[in-house]
Formats: sequence, structure tokens, C-alpha cells
Amino acid sequence: MLIRYFAGAADAAGHENETVDAAGMTVGSLRSRLTDGNEQLGKVLAVAALLADGARVESDDDDLSDVSQLDILPPFAGG
Amino acid sequence: MTESGIVDVDIDIAALTDAVSSQEAGAVVTFNGVVRLHDHGKAVTGIEYVGHPSADETLHAGVAEFAGREGIHGIIAQHRVGYLGIGGVALFVAVAATHRGQAFSCISDFVDWVKGNMPIWKKQFLEDGSYEWSECP
Repeated sequence: MLIRYFAGAADAAGHENETVDAAGMTVGSLRSRLTDGNEQLGKVLAVAALLADGARVESDDDDLSDVSQLDILPPFAGG
Repeated sequence: MTESGIVDVDIDIAALTDAVSSQEAGAVVTFNGVVRLHDHGKAVTGIEYVGHPSADETLHAGVAEFAGREGIHGIIAQHRVGYLGIGGVALFVAVAATHRGQAFSCISDFVDWVKGNMPIWKKQFLEDGSYEWSECP
């Protein structure tokens, strides 16, 4: 699964893209894995919206096994 | 370009205002969202706007929704991406309506909608050489 970090999320992660093996992984377990050792990314993820193949992730229990692209969107700041 | 969308060049305000106007409309109201010199007490030198790939589609959907309001004859909105200095126009909206009240409320609600729904971020550069992502912890 390709993870795409945007704006402040990319700064926190240290990169814009990352590929992870998401087989059997839930949103919650991915969160734990990404934020382990990266406190700043943890703060951003706590308020970010996640898009799994373009659809908004509603629950940390969602299964990511069949997701090919996960976008991490910090709070919007347009206008 | 006189259509709604995400743009990476300066917005042609006069052209968009012309394009939205029509003989049926008794009111044309415009809004400029402008890069200002300060934010929460800090001196700002410029802002880089970054959009998600879906931003253009989202903007079109919003414009289509507001275009259906009673009395609205036209609405055009453009949002800039890329770097803008102080005074740069980041968001421009023009609304043409039968009556002014319809145009004012439509444009005000539309800008609120942009703030809440458009997947766009701003990297704000400060006078001390640092930067910050607005709204991001």
C-alpha cells in the first residue's frame, strides 16, 4: 500500500511517500506503527483525515488489506 | 482562464468578474482572499499553497452546488496554488444574482464552504526565516 503524506504530514513523516505491507492491518495498527518513535507525526495523525483509495476513513477498525493508496491529509487551510 | 478551478498563475480578477456577469443579474459580488502581512502576532513574508490532487474536483462540485441556489445566475471561483507574496490573491470568488442579498449570502457561505472542505494547505513563511503549516499541530 502506498501512503501519501501531504503538507505538514509530509514534514512530520520526513517524506512524501512510503510503501508498507498492509495485509491484515487495520487503520489503528497502522497509526501505532507510523507514530512509534515519531511524536510529531502522532500529533498530526491525531487530527488528520485519511483517504483510503479516495474514500474517507471513518474508523480505526477499518481493514487496510485491500487498500492500494492511503492519503494523509492534515486539517485544511485553504481560502 | 475564466472558469472555476485550481490555478498556478495569478488570478485575472477583471476577466472572471466579466465572465460571471449577465443581463439577468442585478448584483455582482466578488471576494478576494488575500495574503496578509501578519498572522497570530507574527510577521508573515509569504505563503505557499499546496493542494491535494482532488482539490480541483472538489472546487467544481462546490461551485455546482452553490450555482443551484435561488436567484444565482453565475458563480466562478479560483484558488491559487504555489507561492504568493503579501497582497497576493489566494482565493477569488465572483457571484452574480438577481438581488444583492442573494449574492452576498451566497458568497459568504461559499467562502465558509471553501475553508471547511477544500483540501488545500498553506505553508506560511515568517520574517525570522522559519515557516509553519497553518492549522497543523
